Amino acid sequence: MVSAASGDVSSRLAELRKRFAERATDDLKALEQRAQLLEGEGADGAVLADVCSRLHRLAGSAGTFGFPELGQAARSLENMLEARADDGSLQEASSLAVERILALRTMLESPPLPAQVTNDESAQGAVERPEGSHGVRVRVLIVPAGKTDPQWLDKALAAYGFDCQVRHETDPELIAVLAGELQTATVILCASVRIEGVIRARDASPSDQVRRLPVVCLSEDLSFGSRYRVAALGADGFFGRSPDLSELAERIEYLALERSTRVHGRVVLVEDDLELAEHYALVLRAAGVDVLWVNDPMQLMSELSSFQPDILLMDVQLGQYSGVTLARMVRFDPQWLSLPIIYLSSEDDPDSQLEALSRGADEFLMKPVSDSYLVRAVLIRCFRARQLSRLMNRDSLTGLLKHSLIKQEVEKELARCRRDGHAASAVMVDLDHFKKINDTYGHRCGDVVIKALANTLRNRLRETDMIGRYGGEEFLVVLPHCDTEAARRLFTEIAEAFGQLTFNCNQETFGVTLSAGVAAINDHSVGDDAVDAADQALYQRKRAGRNGVTVAGDE
Amino acid sequence: MPRQSVDRVLYVEDDPDIRAVAELALVDVAGFEARLCESGQQALEQVDDFHPDLVLLDVMMPGMDGPETLRALQERPGGLPVPAVFMTARLQPEEIEEYRAMGAIGVIPKPFDPMTLGDQIRELLAGREGA
Repeated sequence: MVSAASGDVSSRLAELRKRFAERATDDLKALEQRAQLLEGEGADGAVLADVCSRLHRLAGSAGTFGFPELGQAARSLENMLEARADDGSLQEASSLAVERILALRTMLESPPLPAQVTNDESAQGAVERPEGSHGVRVRVLIVPAGKTDPQWLDKALAAYGFDCQVRHETDPELIAVLAGELQTATVILCASVRIEGVIRARDASPSDQVRRLPVVCLSEDLSFGSRYRVAALGADGFFGRSPDLSELAERIEYLALERSTRVHGRVVLVEDDLELAEHYALVLRAAGVDVLWVNDPMQLMSELSSFQPDILLMDVQLGQYSGVTLARMVRFDPQWLSLPIIYLSSEDDPDSQLEALSRGADEFLMKPVSDSYLVRAVLIRCFRARQLSRLMNRDSLTGLLKHSLIKQEVEKELARCRRDGHAASAVMVDLDHFKKINDTYGHRCGDVVIKALANTLRNRLRETDMIGRYGGEEFLVVLPHCDTEAARRLFTEIAEAFGQLTFNCNQETFGVTLSAGVAAINDHSVGDDAVDAADQALYQRKRAGRNGVTVAGDE
Repeated sequence: MPRQSVDRVLYVEDDPDIRAVAELALVDVAGFEARLCESGQQALEQVDDFHPDLVLLDVMMPGMDGPETLRALQERPGGLPVPAVFMTARLQPEEIEEYRAMGAIGVIPKPFDPMTLGDQIRELLAGREGA
C-alpha cells in the first residue's frame, strides 16, 4: 500500500517529528510555569484546566511522533491531577506534578524511536525477553579484514547455533547495518584492522541499544600493546586469529546474555490508592518490570504464589491493615523468607521505620518517591534477587537449572498437560564416551565439552523450554507443547550439529557425539515416571550404538 | 448495504501537527485521497464539496467537539450516508459504546501510528462488512 517512495515518507515524518518536538518543548515550559502557579497560589480552575488540556494533547500525540514514553507519562499525570482536583488534594500534589513535568522534558530529549509503532509488538517482545539469551538465537555479525579474508569462522560458529552474517560494508555503511540490530541479541566479531572504524560506526548510532552492542576483536598480534589498544577502544573481548572455538562461542553467548538481561523484574505492588498504584505500575512497566497490583490484602498470599515476584512493594498503611503486620505474615511462609519487601511510606519517624524493619521489611522508600528513583530502587533489588536465586538454583558450570529444579519442572509441566490437554516431552541427553574424554584430555577439557553442550541447547531451544543439568554429563530437557516425534526431529538436528563441533585440548582436536532419549510427559501419571521412561529410551539408544535419538516405545 | 470501497477520507482535527502527520499517513502511506479540516464547522462546510467515503473525527476539539460534529453532519437534510470513525486519546469502554450508538463504526485510539493508520481504518471497515 505504500505508494510514494517510503524514503520520502520517512524523511517527511522526521521533519514533522522535529516540528512536534519544538512545539512540545514550548508546551512543557508553559506547563512548568502553570504547575508552579498551582503550587504557589493553590488550585485555580482555569490554570488547572489549561494544564490538563495541554497534558491531554501530549498524551494523544507524542506517541504518533515517536515519543511514546512522553505520551504515557503525560497521560498518567493528567489522570493524577484530575483525581486530585476531584478530591480536593490538588495543592499537595502540585510539587510532585512540577517534578514530573520536569521529567517529561528529559523524555522529549531522548531520540525518537525509528519506527513509530504505538502498540509495538516488537518493543513488547524486547520487554518480555526472558532472562538471558536462552530462546533467542544470538546473531554474530562478522567483520573480516577484507574480501579475501578466509571465512571459516561463520560456518564454525553456525554449528554452535549462532546466526552468523559476514559483513563487508565500509565503516560508514555499517551504521545502517547496525541500526537493524535493535531487537536481536547481537554480538559483533571484528578483525583487528577494522576494530577502530567499527567501534566508531557503532558509537555514531543514535540508538543507545546499538551503542551497547558488544564487540569482540580477533587479532594476529597478541602482544600486550595490541591488547591494550583494543581494550582502550572499548572492545568487550579479544581473541587470536585462530581462537579456541568453544571459548569464543562461550564469550559470545555470555556477552549476548549480559546485554539482553536488561534487568527486568517481577514486582507485586500492594497499594490501596488507585491513582498512585496506577502511576507506579505505569512507571515500572515502562522500565520493563512486570507489575501485579494487589488492591485487597486478603488476596496477597494467593497472588504471591501464582505471580512469583522478585520483590514485594507495599504501602505501610492499607486501609484497616498494617503493611508491617502483613510483611510478618508473608514471612510465615518459608517460601517467602528471602523475598525482599520494600515499604512505600510517608512514615519518616526513624523509630517506627526500625520497628517495621525488625518485623520483616527490608527497606523504605519515602513518598512522594520520584519516578526515576523508584525505577532504580526496584531494578537494583530485582537484579540482586535474581542474582541470588540464580546462585541458588543454577548449576555453576553451565548456568542451567540444577537437578532438583529441573525435576520440579517436569512435575509442573505434567500438571499443565493435565489442565490444558497438550502434549509435552522430556528428553534425557547424555554425552557419548564422556569418561574417555575426561581420562584422555583431563577434566578441564571435559568441562569445556559440557559447557559447549549447554550453550548448544540454550541456542537451539525455545525460551519456553527448560534445560537442567541432571548429572555429570547428563542433561534433562522439558519441551512443552511438543510431541515425541517433534522432539525426535529437534534432537536429531541438535545431535548432528553438536557432532560437527571440534574441540581443541592439549594440542589435540576431537569431536564428541551425544545420545538422547525421549518420552511423552503426558503419558505418565507422575513426573518421575516420565523421567524414567526418557532414561530407559536413552539406555536403549546407548545399546543401539549411541549418537542419535530414541523415543520411548520405539522398537 | 452495498460493498463500498473507501478512497476519500474527510479528517477533522484541531491540532495542526496531528493534521500534518495524518495527511502523510492517509495520503502517502495508505493511498487515500484526504481532505483535512481544522474544526467541525469547516467539516460541515466542506463535506458536500468533497464527497467523502468515510469521516474521521477527533473527539476532543474546542468549539464543536467530535460527537457534536457527527450529530450536525447527520442532521443535515441528506444525513451522513457514509461511515464515521472517532479518534480519542482517552478510550473508555463505555465511551466506545456511546460512539457506536451514535452511528460510528469504531474508535481509533490516540496516539495513532502513522504507518498503520490506513490499515486500522480498513480493518474497521472490513469488520463492519463481515458483521
